Amino acid sequence: MDRRSFIKLTAITGTSAALASCGSPENTVIRFVPDDEMAPGLAEWKPSVCPLCNSGCGLNVRVMQADVETTRDGTRGVVQRAVAKKLEGLPTHPVNQGGLCARGQAAIQLTYHPDRLAQPLKRSGQRGEGKFEPMTWEAAVAELVGKLDALAAAGNQKGLTIIGDGRRSQRASLFDQFVAKFGGTLSVRHEVFGDAVLRRANGMSFGVEQLPTYDLKHTRSAINFGGDILGTWNSPVAHANAYGAMRRGRPGVRGAYFHVESRVTTSGAGADEWVGITPGTEGVLALAIAHVMLEEKLLPAVSGRATALIDGWASGLADYEPARAEKITGVGAARIAHIARQLAEQSPSVALVGGPALAYSNGLFTALAVNALNQLFGTVQKPGGIAFTPQGVTADSRPSRSTLAAFASAVAGGTQPAGVLLLDGGNPVFASSKAWRVREAIEKFPYIVSFGSFIDETSALADLILPDHSFLESWVDALPESGSLVPVVSVAGPVMKPLFDTRASEDVLLDVARTLAKPVDFPWRTFDEMLKATIDLHGEDAWSTAQSHGGWWPETSQGEAASGQPPTARGAASVTPPSPSAGDAGRFIDPVLAGDADVYPYQLLPYPSLQFLDGSLAHLPWLQELPDPITSAMWSSWVEINPTTAESLGVSLGDVVEVASSLGAVRAPVFVNPGLSPTVIAMPVGQGHTNYTRYASGRGQNPIEILAPATVAGTDAFAWAATRVKVTRVSDPDGSLILFSARGELRERPYEGVTR
Amino acid sequence: MSATEDRLTNDLLRPLFNTSWRFYVLVAVLSSIVLAGLGAFAFQMWRGFGLTGLGWPIYWGFFITDFVFWIGISHAGTLISAILRLVDAGWRKPVTRCAEGITAFALMIGGLFPIIHLGKPWLFFWLVPYPNNRLIWPNFRSPLVWDFFAISTYLTGSLLFLFLPMIPDFALVRDRATGLRSKIYGVLALGWRGTTRQWHNLETAMSIMAVAIIPVAVSVHTIVSFDFSMAPVPMWHSTIFGPYFVAGAIFSGIAGLIIAMAALRHFLHIEEYLTPKHFDNLGRLLLLMALLWGYFTFNERLTVWYGNHEAEVNTFMVTQSGTFSPLFWTMVVVNFVLPVIILGIKRFRTITGCVIASFGVCIGMWLERFLIVVPSLGHKYFPYSWSFYRPRPTEIVITAATFAGMVLLYALFSKFVPIISIWELKQGAHQPHQPDPIEDVEIAEAELHRTHA
Amino acid sequence: MAYRWGMAVDLDRCTGCQACVTACRSENNIPTAGEQQASRGRAIHWIRVERYFEGEFPNVRVKYRPVLCQQCDAAPCEPVCPTYASSHNEDGLNAQIYNRCIGTRYCANACPYNTRFFDFFNPSWEKPLHLQLNPDVSVREVGVMEKCTFCVQRINAAKVTARGEDRTVKDGEIQPACAQSCPSKAIVFGDLNDPDSEVSRLAESPRGHKLLDDLGTRPKITYLEGR
Repeated sequence: MDRRSFIKLTAITGTSAALASCGSPENTVIRFVPDDEMAPGLAEWKPSVCPLCNSGCGLNVRVMQADVETTRDGTRGVVQRAVAKKLEGLPTHPVNQGGLCARGQAAIQLTYHPDRLAQPLKRSGQRGEGKFEPMTWEAAVAELVGKLDALAAAGNQKGLTIIGDGRRSQRASLFDQFVAKFGGTLSVRHEVFGDAVLRRANGMSFGVEQLPTYDLKHTRSAINFGGDILGTWNSPVAHANAYGAMRRGRPGVRGAYFHVESRVTTSGAGADEWVGITPGTEGVLALAIAHVMLEEKLLPAVSGRATALIDGWASGLADYEPARAEKITGVGAARIAHIARQLAEQSPSVALVGGPALAYSNGLFTALAVNALNQLFGTVQKPGGIAFTPQGVTADSRPSRSTLAAFASAVAGGTQPAGVLLLDGGNPVFASSKAWRVREAIEKFPYIVSFGSFIDETSALADLILPDHSFLESWVDALPESGSLVPVVSVAGPVMKPLFDTRASEDVLLDVARTLAKPVDFPWRTFDEMLKATIDLHGEDAWSTAQSHGGWWPETSQGEAASGQPPTARGAASVTPPSPSAGDAGRFIDPVLAGDADVYPYQLLPYPSLQFLDGSLAHLPWLQELPDPITSAMWSSWVEINPTTAESLGVSLGDVVEVASSLGAVRAPVFVNPGLSPTVIAMPVGQGHTNYTRYASGRGQNPIEILAPATVAGTDAFAWAATRVKVTRVSDPDGSLILFSARGELRERPYEGVTR
Repeated sequence: MSATEDRLTNDLLRPLFNTSWRFYVLVAVLSSIVLAGLGAFAFQMWRGFGLTGLGWPIYWGFFITDFVFWIGISHAGTLISAILRLVDAGWRKPVTRCAEGITAFALMIGGLFPIIHLGKPWLFFWLVPYPNNRLIWPNFRSPLVWDFFAISTYLTGSLLFLFLPMIPDFALVRDRATGLRSKIYGVLALGWRGTTRQWHNLETAMSIMAVAIIPVAVSVHTIVSFDFSMAPVPMWHSTIFGPYFVAGAIFSGIAGLIIAMAALRHFLHIEEYLTPKHFDNLGRLLLLMALLWGYFTFNERLTVWYGNHEAEVNTFMVTQSGTFSPLFWTMVVVNFVLPVIILGIKRFRTITGCVIASFGVCIGMWLERFLIVVPSLGHKYFPYSWSFYRPRPTEIVITAATFAGMVLLYALFSKFVPIISIWELKQGAHQPHQPDPIEDVEIAEAELHRTHA
Repeated sequence: MAYRWGMAVDLDRCTGCQACVTACRSENNIPTAGEQQASRGRAIHWIRVERYFEGEFPNVRVKYRPVLCQQCDAAPCEPVCPTYASSHNEDGLNAQIYNRCIGTRYCANACPYNTRFFDFFNPSWEKPLHLQLNPDVSVREVGVMEKCTFCVQRINAAKVTARGEDRTVKDGEIQPACAQSCPSKAIVFGDLNDPDSEVSRLAESPRGHKLLDDLGTRPKITYLEGR
């Protein structure tokens, strides 16, 4: 190209570029000078903490530059800034050891969600109408302070309370302390699929009211009674890590795995033997196994605290001989004996329990029975058995709490004065049975403040919304209750600057505490000071190490775990005094199901979905489009029915059915699941939001609504698997069931036997 | 020129000089359907290929079915007329041009589909080997590149094969017409004066073309079949596909030809020239091809069933008794049972009978291609990845537009070109009203030599 | 010596938890199709976990099998591509060159594993979800095929680092997103040309088999059966 044509071409392209950008404002980008120090094109990895569940996994966040739209001095423009790009598991973290579940990885979308609240909001329409108008932080904080001062002035401090999610963290502790110091009522920490039953059982059996950690890495054989340990329950990443090591981590040794449940889960999928059982009878099977072991003297008979709680243990569990257990559980007597022998032969063995097994009226018995079995195995607090994670933060920051159901009835009954309600996650309106009348109770509060980043069914009722930073933009912490053999405190600072005009809720609360007419006294000015204060207890440089490592744990963690040292319950959480008798929980009583068996012939099993857990993650598009591991469904909710049952109901894949309990009905398409008991109808929990961002609203059905308000005997825990339902066919497929495996093929060789 | 020949010329040139209003209506209706198709294609390019009903893992559907179908239809003409020319079957003469026209137009339409179905149709020329700044040739190992060569060769050949025998007729029109029309036909006639030397050259060229076009035609549909049989897909990866596709193509081609001839006969009032005898002969050919097709289909499916390879049996089962079985058994009925009954019984082998059977065969052969493309892709090796396919409006509109386009092109063709080769007919036709106008080819040829001597 | 990247998937460790699926989505800028498009089969998952039931209740079993591009040595997708968009690279990977692709989708048909996905529309991310996009991976436009690359951006980064330090890539230095995220460590990635690498060792395992071995595609992923 010669000079002349070069100049011509330059002129032409220059002119056309200038013309092209005229008129359309998105082409006239103002670029601000970057205010960050960062190396363009280079990724930096920073630690953080996953905020989604109780596991408290450590995150490794990839941070790189990106063009962020922002407003500076009233001008819209773009600035280059370091932002989070990907979440990975923190390789050095004792809980997740580099792995991270699907949900944890999708957590990054919490920060970048298009419907995230960008500034404080004030209700402008009727309550529940969902109309809000923006306001400044100063005005918002002043308004909250005013309301609290008014409460205090009226001597109605009891009217302050809080409903939050069940995460164990110092954040939760700060909120609880605030309420307590102000003089408010005990907070409600609500989880649909809570673990109160197992904590209580462990307190009774082992003196430790805490969820167990399973040392599967060193286990030779394991039997799991219903706990979805690898999918949704307790600390799935830690379990999966240990499970992998149990199977293939030791040369020449492959741990055997038995799984007992009434609906196949991802945790049951890999089992050497999957044992389908009549729901609610898991405890009988556990004791029948113990019976065989005792009778055949496969293991030395032991008696201890856990076994003493079981009626008839000393006399060899005569009530639980396999032949009788077969009638109750539906598991063949020969099979029971076979499993017992296998478990006894391959020691160390461990028995796990969780999930729906504990969500029947007799759940406490089931947990105690499995605990007794573990004691018989002789592996409690031993390698390959169950352990209790020593707690890194020793001070018990958890005041005893009320359940959501009790709270609602207290409000309705007037014993709980309704003043100011703080909402810190948990979405109680969505995640509760209609029968509890939670929405009505919440609406009784004259002033409701939400700290959430999104409008959901509960925060839609709020008068004031003070949106929190995302966990990547602020200090974040977690106190793992289990999943590690060493104490762990997960703590991390912000990995990126806030995208919006949001504030860290902990700091807002501390700010409010100082500003009150009668200030609530805290020794810290900011949340990170609080975190530092607890970590400082572990040594002088613990805080600086914690900041670079993503938390505090003993340096020897890896070595100790690998060497197979017996884990002990050093500094374990609250220990209850030994209980002389378990009462009714010491023997099997048929599970009580809500509803008339003649009208409602099936049991409804609502299970936490692998994508959304209790529904709190349904707003993340990655998880909506993540195929369910059993059905391959995306963007849908569905009803799982056993093939035989489906045939008798005259329904097949995709047909819409109505599942009705005495409290109401939900409609969803059918998925025929061969891994489901014929007497059980299963539904995933998570969809069915009416108001939860563009991705979750108006999609699917929420089975929690129609659950009967039953509790597990001997506890105040919600028996969420104890509702009877009937099923009726409504219509042909309506296209609402979207399967990634579009034909819903169940078998690898669907035509096997048809042509041969 | 005898009076008979004069009448013949008048009869066959009438459509070129007289046009009724009905014709304009027909053209308008067909053009609007074609325009709708073009609009759908443009919209699809603008919005994205997602307007079709395709999805993972069924990435070929209506468009590829249409492609194979139209390439199949294109085997009507060339092969039939070339073979009949070579064996010098006298009855062919009024049929050849109808047939060759179908070939040319079906190829043009079929050849569009590989472009329409591209994710980026505007880059179709990357299939063409030309020196380019990407410094990269097309992948000559790819059957799609073979397709490009096969179709372009076949299209060139068929156009020549169609055009050559039109030259004397263009000259005839030129001589009869006036003004612009005369000039245009003059150009098309390439200076034809009817000299002996010209006749000789034409005859030689036609003989060469007739010989050359047959292997091209056979290979083109074999190569189309390679698009499928080269891929390790259940029930695609089969050695029978070459002949199976060629047979199917000729089968559907003859059916298309019968329908076209019946339409021409009816609308252009040339009953005297396209006689029941022609339909009877083509009907017999169609019967033969139906039997051959049945034989191939039986063969294909028996070996799959007997071989009992898991993945293939899965595909076999869904077509035989699964979700595709209604389509499959419809295909068997209209492609085999119906034609064999209608055409196998002499009493039914009338023009109407032939046309009914031909419509059946066209539908059946379209279904056959659909049943080759879609069930296999939807039932590959892992049942987890099995899927459905339902066409969406874009695909249906575009498919409909190609049928309208075919009729439109053919209608226009019959308007601008004598649809029956006048000179070939004159070679032997003294009495066009006779049931068989060409009884004695030798006499006709002797006469031809005498005339031009 | 040239690298030859391969993988081993231990089905005995795999729990079907879908962590790899999300990790891949996050790393490789895979667009979210949305409800309507997902219902038309346009959801893209470079890696999927196939699930198969065996038996009936109460004696039922579920098998999981993560399926991704097998990076075949004799890949059926490669010869059929008319524009060399699908071609073998020097490390033995089946490269997919997006800007050569004109969208014939023939490669997807030829792939017996169904691991290739077509972009039916231009992808879009509702702001500010786009801030998450990985700058090391190109976003695919409408009309092209995409598939698992074994996280080629990570491979290349490691190779550059190694070359800068005048050494070869060490075993375990590269982890594709799926292998990195796997909680039970079921996925192992490495160089099959290095006889001492973990993946070479696993590829020789008597438990190992290749998917659809009889088709002669010579896949570079070994699946290790549970029993």
